[in-house]
Amino acid sequence: MEKGKDFYKSEYYENRELSWLKFNARVLNEGRDKSIPLLERLKFVSITSSNLDEFFMVRVASLKDMVHAGYKKKDIAGMTPAEQLAAINKDTRELADLQYSTYNRSLLPLLKNKNIRILDAHEDLSKEQGEYVDKYFEENVYPVLTPMAVDASRPFPLIRNKTLNIAALLTKKDGNAKEQEFATVQVPSVLSRLIQIPGKKEKEQVFILLEQVIERNIHQLFLNYDVICAYPYRIMRNADLTIDEDEAEDLLKEIQKQLKKRQWGEVIRLEVEEKIDKRLLDILKEDLHVASDDIFKIPGPLDLTFLMKMYGLEGCDDLRYKPFKPQQVPKIVPGEDIFAQIRKGDILLHHPYQTFDPVVDFIRQASLDPDVLAIKQTLYRVSGNSPIIASLAQAAENGKQVSVLVELKARFDEENNIVWAKKLEKAGCHVIYGLVGLKTHSKIALVVRREEDGIRRYVHLGNGNYNDSTAKLYTDCGMFTCSEAIGEDATAVFNMLSGYSEPLSWNKLVVAPLWLRNKFLKLIRREAEYARQGKKAFIKAKMNSLCDRDIIAALYEASAAGVKIDLVVRGICCLKVGIEGVSEEITVRSIVGNFLEHSRIFYFHNDGQEEIYMGSADWMPRNLDRRVEILFPVENEALMEQVKHIMKVQLEDNVKAHVLQKNGIYDKIDKRGKKLVNSQEYFCQEAKRANPKEVNVYQERVFIPAETEE
Amino acid sequence: MAITTFGAIYIGSYEVSLKIFELSQRKQLRTVDHIRSRVELGKDVFASRSIGYELVEELCLILKEFRKIMDGYRVDDYQAYASVALRHVSNELFVLDQIWLRTKIRVQILSNSERRFIGYKALAFRPEFEEMIKESAALVDVGGGSMQITLFRKGKAVTTQHIELGIMRIKERLSEIEAMVAHYEKQIQEMVDKELGSFKHLYLSGKDTKYIILLGDYIGDITKGVERKKEDGTIEQERFLKKLKKFRKKSGEEELQELDISNEDDPLMIPSAVLYKRTVEEINAEYVWIPGADISDGIAYDYAQDHKILKPEHNFEEDILSAAKALAERYQSFSKHTEALLETSLAIFDAMKNVHGLTKRSRLLLQAAVILHDCGKYVSLVNQADCSYQIIMASEIIGMTHLEREIVACAVKYNANPLVSYEELADKMNQDSYMAVAKLAAILKIANALDRSHKQKFKNVKATLKDRQLLITVEAKESLVLERGLFSVYADAFERIFSVKPCIREKRMFQ
Repeated sequence: MEKGKDFYKSEYYENRELSWLKFNARVLNEGRDKSIPLLERLKFVSITSSNLDEFFMVRVASLKDMVHAGYKKKDIAGMTPAEQLAAINKDTRELADLQYSTYNRSLLPLLKNKNIRILDAHEDLSKEQGEYVDKYFEENVYPVLTPMAVDASRPFPLIRNKTLNIAALLTKKDGNAKEQEFATVQVPSVLSRLIQIPGKKEKEQVFILLEQVIERNIHQLFLNYDVICAYPYRIMRNADLTIDEDEAEDLLKEIQKQLKKRQWGEVIRLEVEEKIDKRLLDILKEDLHVASDDIFKIPGPLDLTFLMKMYGLEGCDDLRYKPFKPQQVPKIVPGEDIFAQIRKGDILLHHPYQTFDPVVDFIRQASLDPDVLAIKQTLYRVSGNSPIIASLAQAAENGKQVSVLVELKARFDEENNIVWAKKLEKAGCHVIYGLVGLKTHSKIALVVRREEDGIRRYVHLGNGNYNDSTAKLYTDCGMFTCSEAIGEDATAVFNMLSGYSEPLSWNKLVVAPLWLRNKFLKLIRREAEYARQGKKAFIKAKMNSLCDRDIIAALYEASAAGVKIDLVVRGICCLKVGIEGVSEEITVRSIVGNFLEHSRIFYFHNDGQEEIYMGSADWMPRNLDRRVEILFPVENEALMEQVKHIMKVQLEDNVKAHVLQKNGIYDKIDKRGKKLVNSQEYFCQEAKRANPKEVNVYQERVFIPAETEE
Repeated sequence: MAITTFGAIYIGSYEVSLKIFELSQRKQLRTVDHIRSRVELGKDVFASRSIGYELVEELCLILKEFRKIMDGYRVDDYQAYASVALRHVSNELFVLDQIWLRTKIRVQILSNSERRFIGYKALAFRPEFEEMIKESAALVDVGGGSMQITLFRKGKAVTTQHIELGIMRIKERLSEIEAMVAHYEKQIQEMVDKELGSFKHLYLSGKDTKYIILLGDYIGDITKGVERKKEDGTIEQERFLKKLKKFRKKSGEEELQELDISNEDDPLMIPSAVLYKRTVEEINAEYVWIPGADISDGIAYDYAQDHKILKPEHNFEEDILSAAKALAERYQSFSKHTEALLETSLAIFDAMKNVHGLTKRSRLLLQAAVILHDCGKYVSLVNQADCSYQIIMASEIIGMTHLEREIVACAVKYNANPLVSYEELADKMNQDSYMAVAKLAAILKIANALDRSHKQKFKNVKATLKDRQLLITVEAKESLVLERGLFSVYADAFERIFSVKPCIREKRMFQ
């Protein structure tokens, strides 16, 4: 491997956190795009805000832990944890500035034009509005507030993670004006953050933020005091989560050793309103033990996630995209025997352009079919009222062998998962609660059916979760097949997940964490070998994130050998393009659109014997090493054409695509003189065209005039 | 099309497995599911000859799951076998009872030869196998507790030897010193060489073997990626050994990558590799064939054959006869007399068909008994009956069940000695088998009496049953005075069993 050594230099890699921040900036960019309907833009800004919260809780928290543990190992870009934190701090501030300038300078004025107002200062209320607000406070807010004062006998209270609070400075009405006391009250999360109040003009929709309502009436909470000032603040702690699984094992050991040094519940970010009184800020800073670097002064309302609530505003359909109805899959006629359709040949599903219903129907029909012996499925994140779960329970009640692997470790979803897992167990399903040390991320459903000529297995493989709600928002690919080879493998996967030994061999599927990394490396190196032989060689791949060092090094090596590599990476990308002799043949683009790009496609030229794979794994260490993932080949020729077409359109996108530049910046494509291609829009139209127009059943006979050809 | 869904359970010394098959004439054998679970019963068995309750618990839990899976597939039938893992353990019956009560699975214990026979059945349905043994081949079946080497010449099995070298046993025996020795492989090799050496000396000297056929759970993984010959899928010996030499306990990262094994931490991998390597070196065959058949396939074929779903390529009865003959030759007891005796006893057996009530299988056992009836003389001329019995019981004849071997050995014993009452044999066999022993011994006795002088004084033996008389007509060259004189003694015993009186009719031939 002498050749490969050079490709591991840290200057060839981008830090993953900084790359992620760039991704969030791309999302924010959508919020700044004037061609997008206003409420959609609000939604994007809201997403950047919730994204940033999660990023702090998971990533920044673990970097902080590393710093406390004295862990100095450098990441792939050669940065120590402390260096990363410093860089993140800088970029986050820039991002936040951009967020609020977008909100204040373009979104608020535009909303005002549309007669929608969001008041973020109670001083702006008219008299009537003020009365309305006070009444609202008295009736709805006051009963749920718990003000807490701090003095010698009452220590600083526990401020809960991610909650919005109001800090106030008080003096006793009859006491010494110099003796100031500190008090805090949580803005109740049970109440809506946005409160609609009567407009000054007709047809005007006015909203006020809950914290403003409280601020306005704060004197009512401290009757014996004068309120000098009151400002909202919000903190983020690293208490809830343990170390992010993405970090290396040696880190975990390191931290276990230093467990005592870990500061539980440490505040890692304090957000305050820009105008906050310095005395208040000093108290907060001292009592919450926050470093100056971790204080963010915000020029506007804290926590912009409330904008998501605005998105659903009634009577404003013209400010949103027309909702897209997922289309029927041409090969699957609703209501007909889905197994018969699969027997005719493999079927590709492209969500959300095509409906997720066949997948739900697949399980539903299986649960009722007397010939079905068993249903086995992995469930990762499932919607609250999932029809799939209902069908699985039904199947168990119908005497079928039902095995369900429920991944409890799915981040933030644990509780939800436990509830329906118990439900399934009650119905008689065999529920497997994940594997020790491994997250099961693979998406696979297997139906075993006894037919006239023996047992036949029907398999659905996908890269999205079995979640009928997210299937309307995430772009995902899935495949139905009854190929014997894949069926055997699917059975083996479930045997393995049930705790039995690995199969002696696999036919088609490649399973992480055992074999997937090597498979990818082999595929990439094979392409490099062809390039060295002077043959045509290319790789086209689409995924959510790319940050695996070995894979990137292999890609660099392939690029240096002359392989043309086109990547569509939605989020983190630690690969750098355009490095001389290393990555000149690599392009990276990121599509951020109305739907969340989620599909993973890997397409290798293989000297003309093209190979296409899809699966649940990204090129990330956690996917390749610490998760159960499945990579499956698409071998049916018609399906291969479909997948190639999907890749092609995505690579042609010049509306929603940002292209990674040599300097590490993502730029939109110069559209001048080009036909506009918006890949998501294109797929929507294509899915509509693929289905016959709805025929009016009442119209018995229609004569269709021939059209003249142009 | 009629399809039988069948579940084959095998309890080995380190693994319990369930294989679900679809058996049909058209598709033969289709594996639908294969579930394996690691349970190291061998740990207890090889150390203390009994199984502790924790392992029984674990075993029952898994079998219970297997029961559910079989129900899920709606299997028509199943067969559950255990071999060395439960054989000879002191609490065998209690374990079996627990399994039955808790899982509703009836597990049968196989003797080593039965176990090997079933393993070998999986192969005997393969056309390539028939081709290979036409010349000469050695079948090596490596299990957890022991290994079995069966030699084939000219299409038939000639000998089969059980060697107490199994991968689990090796691992367990070395487990205490494993950490102390630098070259783990060397230690295994020393253990292996001692046992293999004797086998080679006794059975292989001066004989070439063209093919070596390897069975076992690990061999597939070990030889993954090794180039096979296109025509028959065999591997040249050199190529095979080259790959196996790479297996060392402390392989580097890159070497492991090259080995391409699915689980490099498996503690049984190295013992397997060393055992296979040494065996192949010792037997020194030109080609190595890894058919990838396992015991579960054998169980399914055995079932399919019994239920007349499938018919094997191979004639197993021929194996029994050739193996018996090879055994007789080893003890220098196969002679013209034996051949004459075969002719006579079969003539009598066939003539008595309507009255003896024995099965076709008994005819085969009779032949085996005839072939082996004198083998004990090699050890002792006086105690030949007992010695023959011991030799037969200590030798394995592939294709014969343990009970069948007992019947043959007893038939041989009570050919020379007077038959004892059933009570004395009751711990070895049931009454039906006792009757078979009595009848076979009686036939053997009178047939033997006809060639008392061992001179083959007659030919063209014919036997006919007439009323209550068995007429044995022979064409004799010489006077049969001796034979006639002794005949009456045995004839009485014969009559007592069959209620048929045998008599000799002599046609004197004069050249």
